[in-house]
Amino acid sequence: MDHSDGQAHADRTPTPAHRDMMYCHECRDEWFRDEHGLTCPECGSDFTEIIEEDHDPRDDEMPGHNEHAEDGDSIPSLEEAPPNPHDHPLAHHNPFRDHNDPEEGDISNLQWRQVGPGRFAVTGTIYRTISPNRGGGGNQNAGNPPIGPFASMLNSIIGGARPRSQPQGQDGQSSQGQPTPGTSLGSGPRVTLGESRFHYTSSARLYPRDADHPGPQLEPMDELNNVLIGLMAAFGEPPGQHNHDPQAPGNDPHVHFNPLLALLSQMMPGNAAAGDFVYSQEALDRIISQLMEQNATGNAPGPASQDDINSLPRKPVTVEMLGPEGRAECSICMEEVLIGEEVTELPCHHWFHHPCVAMWLSEHDTCPHCRHGITKTSENSANSSNDNSGGASEANASNPQMPGAFAGATGDGTPEHPFLLPDSPHHPAPNQDQGASSSHSGPVSGDESHSGGGFGERLRRGWFGPPR
Amino acid sequence: MSAGAKKRIMKEYGECMKDTPSGMKINFDEQNMTEWEILLDGPEQSIYSGGHFKLKMTFPTEYPFKPPVVSFKTKIYHPNVSNDDKGSMCLGMLRPDEWKPPNKVVSVLRLIQTLLIEPNADDAIEPSIANEYKENRKEFDKTAKDWVKRYAK
Repeated sequence: MDHSDGQAHADRTPTPAHRDMMYCHECRDEWFRDEHGLTCPECGSDFTEIIEEDHDPRDDEMPGHNEHAEDGDSIPSLEEAPPNPHDHPLAHHNPFRDHNDPEEGDISNLQWRQVGPGRFAVTGTIYRTISPNRGGGGNQNAGNPPIGPFASMLNSIIGGARPRSQPQGQDGQSSQGQPTPGTSLGSGPRVTLGESRFHYTSSARLYPRDADHPGPQLEPMDELNNVLIGLMAAFGEPPGQHNHDPQAPGNDPHVHFNPLLALLSQMMPGNAAAGDFVYSQEALDRIISQLMEQNATGNAPGPASQDDINSLPRKPVTVEMLGPEGRAECSICMEEVLIGEEVTELPCHHWFHHPCVAMWLSEHDTCPHCRHGITKTSENSANSSNDNSGGASEANASNPQMPGAFAGATGDGTPEHPFLLPDSPHHPAPNQDQGASSSHSGPVSGDESHSGGGFGERLRRGWFGPPR
Repeated sequence: MSAGAKKRIMKEYGECMKDTPSGMKINFDEQNMTEWEILLDGPEQSIYSGGHFKLKMTFPTEYPFKPPVVSFKTKIYHPNVSNDDKGSMCLGMLRPDEWKPPNKVVSVLRLIQTLLIEPNADDAIEPSIANEYKENRKEFDKTAKDWVKRYAK
């Protein structure tokens, strides 16, 4: 009450190691037991209690506690909160309930305490295990770079975060992970066989947003677990790989994902994204368009191999290959083809000038018309080998231009006749007569009829994996 | 740009001249044949009716292996046209992964016209405009017509 804010703040939290804190139930005063004993120095009452880690009498007094709390001025509207602090929606908040942390054993004593209506203090001890071969002789130093800057950053992010009841000097010490054994619980490394352990103890306070007192927006409540997950992840990183780079938020989070970057980027106004978490529509849009850009080509099949392109059959243009008007063109360069001119035919029986289609195939393993790949894939290798072995190709000619022809063309699941998606343009259709197939194998200008085939092809690739 | 690409662009231009979609005019500069200027009247049956839109179609060096780029030089309120100084339109066959070399410029031009008559809100470049188109068609029509009056006269 007569303390300054910062002082009260630090004093009120129990000392983890050696000093007992006393609490008076009459006047709610707090003092160190070794300074004033068991009787309240303020009102002289005997109704006092030692504040212990696992039992904090202040928890039960919270609603009235704010009248002299150090931050009582900042959230008066919450003083009318329900008398039962456990009514608070976050009273049982445990962000790690479903969090599968492989190094759970390294984290202990994570405690959530309610220090006021809507306020929580979180205390965690993190044991950082460094294997000797990685850290080498510089174990202690190796542990320093991540922990020191990170602790101070965490403090600045969360605001008001202070190590529990330790003066700032000691704070620096413990957060630096200095190996001074015995200063206080959780500040020194414990050396066990073949490995070093670092303890890091810190506590943080989290302030809810307050509509009545729009102060500087600190870390909002709902990002709490994010902060802690980031904290855990940061400590899970190998020592030395920790970049505390002020330029970091500008980096592409998908390229250098690092929990530190996520935290830093949270502090950047306008970029409400933290790794996979987003907090605004804009950030979501940004991530989605990023993903779309990444997949723009990832979705499409890669290039065909030069061997496959070169081994495509070539044949002279025949009268049957010309369209009804008696003329046909290579649909890539739009040059008219003449009878007898050599063209390259793809397995789907679409044909083009060799240089034209080679250019396309060297970037996309698809027919420019129907998107059917030229590379033999596992699921259609049976057909392709049929096609390519001797003169079977004419007999197996499919009719990619006529969607109706696909009906009933499913295989029986044997290697010779695999099941085929109905809209797959490439399938054995022995009943088809040869004439019909060749008259349709020339390029056509209408693309609409192929869109289904192209989609089916991509779906199939999605299900069965890439062609090779 | 390869000779083949130039030849194809010339052929495309010839085809467009033979069969220009109604309400369209193509300004073709032989010195710079990779950039076409297209003057497009808002289709009668669309909310853009009465507007005159200037578009640019740019053919990439890799054409026809890469799609041409279409952009509106005249501001237009449309879910599929980006609401910035680029006015870019990117959907359907113009999308890099959807593009096929056999696609013709004439069909691209027809696609543009079709989109003015019926925007494709499910494949929009401007989500907010698309949303308005779907949820509040009256407001969308009003703004679109207002923009026609303001920018496309």
